[in-house]
Amino acid sequence: MTDIVAIIANGVVYGSIYGLVAIGMTLIYGTLRILDMSQGSMVMVGGYVGWWALATHGVNPIVALVLAFAFTFALGTATELVSVQPLISRRHEVDFELVTFITTFAVAIFLTNVALQHFGPFQQNVPTIVGGNLKLYHGVSISYHELTMAAISVILMGGLGLFLARTRWGLAVRAVAQDLDAARSLAVPVTRLYPLTMGLASALAGVGGVFLGALYFASPTAGDLPLLFALIVVVLGGLGSLTGTLYAAYLVGMTQSFCEVEIGTTWTLPILYGAILVILIFRPYGLKGSPSEVRL
Amino acid sequence: MTGTFGSISAGRWAMIAIGIVLAALFPLVYHDPYYMTIIVTGEIVLILNISWNFVLGMAGVWNFGQLAIYALGAYGSGWLMLHHSGIPVPIAIVLGGVFSGVISVLLAFPTLRLFGIYTSLLTFSFAQVVQYVAVNNPHNLTGGSFGFPEVPGLFPDLGQSDYLRAYYWVCAAVIVVSCFAVAWLRQSHLGIALRSIRDAPAYTAARGVNPRAARVAAFGLSGFLAGIAGGLYLSFEQSFTTSQMGLTPMSLDVTMLVIGGLGTVSGPLIGTAILTVIQTKLINYPGWQLTVLGATLLVIVIFVPGGVVGLIGRLDRRLRAWVAEDADEAEEPAPG
Repeated sequence: MTDIVAIIANGVVYGSIYGLVAIGMTLIYGTLRILDMSQGSMVMVGGYVGWWALATHGVNPIVALVLAFAFTFALGTATELVSVQPLISRRHEVDFELVTFITTFAVAIFLTNVALQHFGPFQQNVPTIVGGNLKLYHGVSISYHELTMAAISVILMGGLGLFLARTRWGLAVRAVAQDLDAARSLAVPVTRLYPLTMGLASALAGVGGVFLGALYFASPTAGDLPLLFALIVVVLGGLGSLTGTLYAAYLVGMTQSFCEVEIGTTWTLPILYGAILVILIFRPYGLKGSPSEVRL
Repeated sequence: MTGTFGSISAGRWAMIAIGIVLAALFPLVYHDPYYMTIIVTGEIVLILNISWNFVLGMAGVWNFGQLAIYALGAYGSGWLMLHHSGIPVPIAIVLGGVFSGVISVLLAFPTLRLFGIYTSLLTFSFAQVVQYVAVNNPHNLTGGSFGFPEVPGLFPDLGQSDYLRAYYWVCAAVIVVSCFAVAWLRQSHLGIALRSIRDAPAYTAARGVNPRAARVAAFGLSGFLAGIAGGLYLSFEQSFTTSQMGLTPMSLDVTMLVIGGLGTVSGPLIGTAILTVIQTKLINYPGWQLTVLGATLLVIVIFVPGGVVGLIGRLDRRLRAWVAEDADEAEEPAPG
């Protein structure tokens, strides 16, 4: 029983944060047909912003989260302008997905190593947003920091859903995802929409980075593991499917939590990647994805 | 005119021959052990890149698991060298290549069910699993993080400078043979089928070419060569660390291929040479090595599609066009 409570509690926490990082990748893939490999670096950058704001300037945690959001939003927009915008005219060529995979990956390499040069290879402690623990059941407890992380992730994901469903910009994003040429002919400002989408996705990862920084550390490679998990989540959910991403995030979170409690941490990633291998063999487009139909 | 190795003019053949002779004579006049080690390592990376270029550039399958295949070649041959010491080391390396080729073919079947970016994700997942298993080292099959530090090399009896020279020649021979093999394959039935599947899959299938069979063959051939590279690396370095298949070597190799020109025969040669020089120059500034790498990759993909080989091809055509224009003008009768 203790095991089950621990597994579920940690699973929900992990699932929420993976959802937050992965949903940005899904949003980008749904609109731009790009698998954004720089999403992990945004987690890393968010962690450093959190460290800078909380540990060295002692600002209010909410201000730190807003700062991380703003900074990674700007960085995501810049990433789009540098690594995707020049290639938009090539978007009908067969290798567009591969080329942008490589350019966003190049941005990730660049950002990681700029961080390495600027901050050194050390791990920096990021203070938690809220202190204290919530006792759940017979020695199983969960920190308020993790609870806040889960809650804010869910709120942000809900906010993203509302943004897409209710606002004019959200409508434009969905229109572009469905049919770029039709959207363009209806005067949707596509060239402004792409940077906005990528900025938004990066900002979600950046906020996640502040929380993850406090759970682990802020370091130049802090984005690698979240990226690997987010890749699992988006593939499992089906690239471009927002609901699929949510299901997959919690499924992956629960699996990780189960592995940590019952088998051992080192086996989490091999088990998840092994599962991906098997799932892709039987369902080539993930759980909820579809080959050509447009999603979101 | 299309010969056995595609259209190569007599001048080109002369240049290739001179290049091979110069490359073969090079270690006789150059002895610096530090740079020779870098050059031999670069040669092994080049063999890996030739194999990767075949499946990534020519067949157009976005296989990001090639470094795991490379590692499996090293582990396969290393296991043979340690546990069946009766087998001569060169045979063990070739058998390691065969092992990699078989695994690569097995990987091809699930991979070829997928399209686009899912292909890269599946192969990338495969590489991750291989890396984790290798680090955890079940039954001492992989030697763990240090990877078989006790394997015998190809030339256990030679002194340092002869050892480096011998490896230089072995690797150079593998490179020359595989370059000719790729040039021949490129215009063979298989190569034409592969390039045509890459560029127009539906049309090619409609013309009666079996896309899966051709691509499985490409995986097998490419895996075999990658495994040979892995075995050579292990026997040269006397270890195969698991970090060899990490993200950093992968980004380095991808950049080499992209800079040189994906899908061309000489692309890997040029890309590997350029980046090996840059990385060696920057060795005292470790932070800059990868920052420069990321920036270069971005600039090349965006501004120089087709890499250096593509750029040279375009400049060459423009030059010829100018020459042709001048010739036309010269032929016109002078006014008056």
